[in-house]
Amino acid sequence: MKKAAFWTEERRAYLILVFPAVIIYWAVMAFPTIFSFILSLTNYNGGPVFGNPDVKIVGFTHYVRMFNDKYFWISLKNNGLIMAISLFGQIPLGFLFAYVLHRKLIKFGDFFQTIIYLPAVISTIVIGRLWQSFFSPYGPFTEFMRRFNPTWENELFFDPHLAILPVLFVILWMYTGTYLIIFLANLQKIDPALIEAARIDGATEWQVLTKIILPALSGVIVTTAILAISGSLKSFDLLFAMTGGNPARRTSVLALYMYDNAFRGAPKYPLANAISVFMVLLSLILIMVVRITESRFGGRE
Amino acid sequence: MATQTKIRKSDFHPVLRIVVYVIIGIFTILTLYPLYWLAISSLKTTTEFQLNMIGWPQNPTFRNYPSAWRLAQFSTLFLNSLFFTIVSTAAIILLSLMAGFAFAKIRSKFTGFLHGSFVIGILLTLQSIMVPLFLMVNSVGLYNTRIGVLIPYIGMGLPMAIYLCTEFIKSIPDSVVESARIDGASYFRIFSAIVVPMAKPVAITLAILNVAGVWNEFMLINILVSSDALRTLPVGILKFSGPLAADYGRQFAALMIGMIPMVVFYLIFRKQITEGVSAGAVKG
Repeated sequence: MKKAAFWTEERRAYLILVFPAVIIYWAVMAFPTIFSFILSLTNYNGGPVFGNPDVKIVGFTHYVRMFNDKYFWISLKNNGLIMAISLFGQIPLGFLFAYVLHRKLIKFGDFFQTIIYLPAVISTIVIGRLWQSFFSPYGPFTEFMRRFNPTWENELFFDPHLAILPVLFVILWMYTGTYLIIFLANLQKIDPALIEAARIDGATEWQVLTKIILPALSGVIVTTAILAISGSLKSFDLLFAMTGGNPARRTSVLALYMYDNAFRGAPKYPLANAISVFMVLLSLILIMVVRITESRFGGRE
Repeated sequence: MATQTKIRKSDFHPVLRIVVYVIIGIFTILTLYPLYWLAISSLKTTTEFQLNMIGWPQNPTFRNYPSAWRLAQFSTLFLNSLFFTIVSTAAIILLSLMAGFAFAKIRSKFTGFLHGSFVIGILLTLQSIMVPLFLMVNSVGLYNTRIGVLIPYIGMGLPMAIYLCTEFIKSIPDSVVESARIDGASYFRIFSAIVVPMAKPVAITLAILNVAGVWNEFMLINILVSSDALRTLPVGILKFSGPLAADYGRQFAALMIGMIPMVVFYLIFRKQITEGVSAGAVKG
């Protein structure tokens, strides 16, 4: 009697509706996260995972190895540079473009919007190959530089200190349009009457921007910051296609560093799993920092 | 409106206006010129390209296209890309409407936890778990299979889709569901007869976001599949136009072939794509 009452139609329907999505999502996202933490503490390096007598717990040795690897620090630094260009390049530029388009301060707004967002829909692999050719010794960039200095030698992709610059440029170019779209959509939600009234009261464009628009967008700015942070940890495809992490792995990022350890040369799965755990923790910590900053400095929803 | 525009323009300093035009103009040129360069370079033979790297081709030829198509096996790549895109998109829409309906309209003490786990997933990056995912797919014997690619594709699309569906279905008045319940309709009947037809706008948003995402997806399929028969466009293009490829003409033609479908898709669905992107970013 009680059992029959437990499986009400409501509960059964809920279970059936939710079950497929939950099981797939947990299998693909949550389980691998936990799985990688467990594997990172073992010496598992291929072969059957379950019932394998050679798999032993080795504690945090792989994390120690990771922190002692200079390529880990190079990759982390590059992720930091990408994050910086996202936070301080893409977001302000995206906002500037959205603002002038929304306030119709320039002509042909629709055209500019279409073109600026275009790179975001093209395959990152195609983009990476295209710009690699563009910046390579046989590309237009070399020709352009030779207009100014006929003896200029293009060593962009061979110089370990310079090679990250074209990558950062392409990242700025690719994703500014996304922030433009996000800011534009949210600018359109601000009541035009509010701005109108302020203008009639004699407010300048600058005052409209700082007193009305920026406060209204503070929640969106936090959202874009979170997007930029998680987006910068996603960097993989572009570098894979553009530089492959070279020269001398100087343009590696964490995801590529993990890939290299797992799939290039002899597999080092335990190290790769440690990197995976580190990346998950890093993104959660960074997002928490943004959230805390938001509540501390009175950003509003 | 007209007067409003006039007032505005008067205090937008002319110098500032020029600066804005210059920045936005540079951005536009930086998009149009490389694409133009790629297009004209794809019309040159490799020999001509080496002599004339940036000029208009002297003997424009489309010969690179058919031969790149054949050599890179574009027919297979297109079919696979279509397959993965269509199947995963359909599955994501169906599963997230189902779960979104349950989260929004059926009361349960599990909703907070389950729905919350999907929202966290919006921020989790698949890049950070690619190696464990590969090890897992491998250890359950799904390496190099279609299903071994589809399940991760569906799983990675679900967080955002479920978030958007739940929000959308919440906006359907409870009274609609309640009166159907009083009339004796089952939850599945309500789902198929009321929720699905009403959810068309959110389904379109999801379709567009997901088509763009899966069509261009590279990282996962690159590690989950090694057989030529299962490759999609990005993997095939990189393989063909890799850093060592010196056959410039065909390489550029291959990049053009890979790029054109998404550019056309974008120009047709520009409005829906931009709406979808901003809907997806409303809340991080």
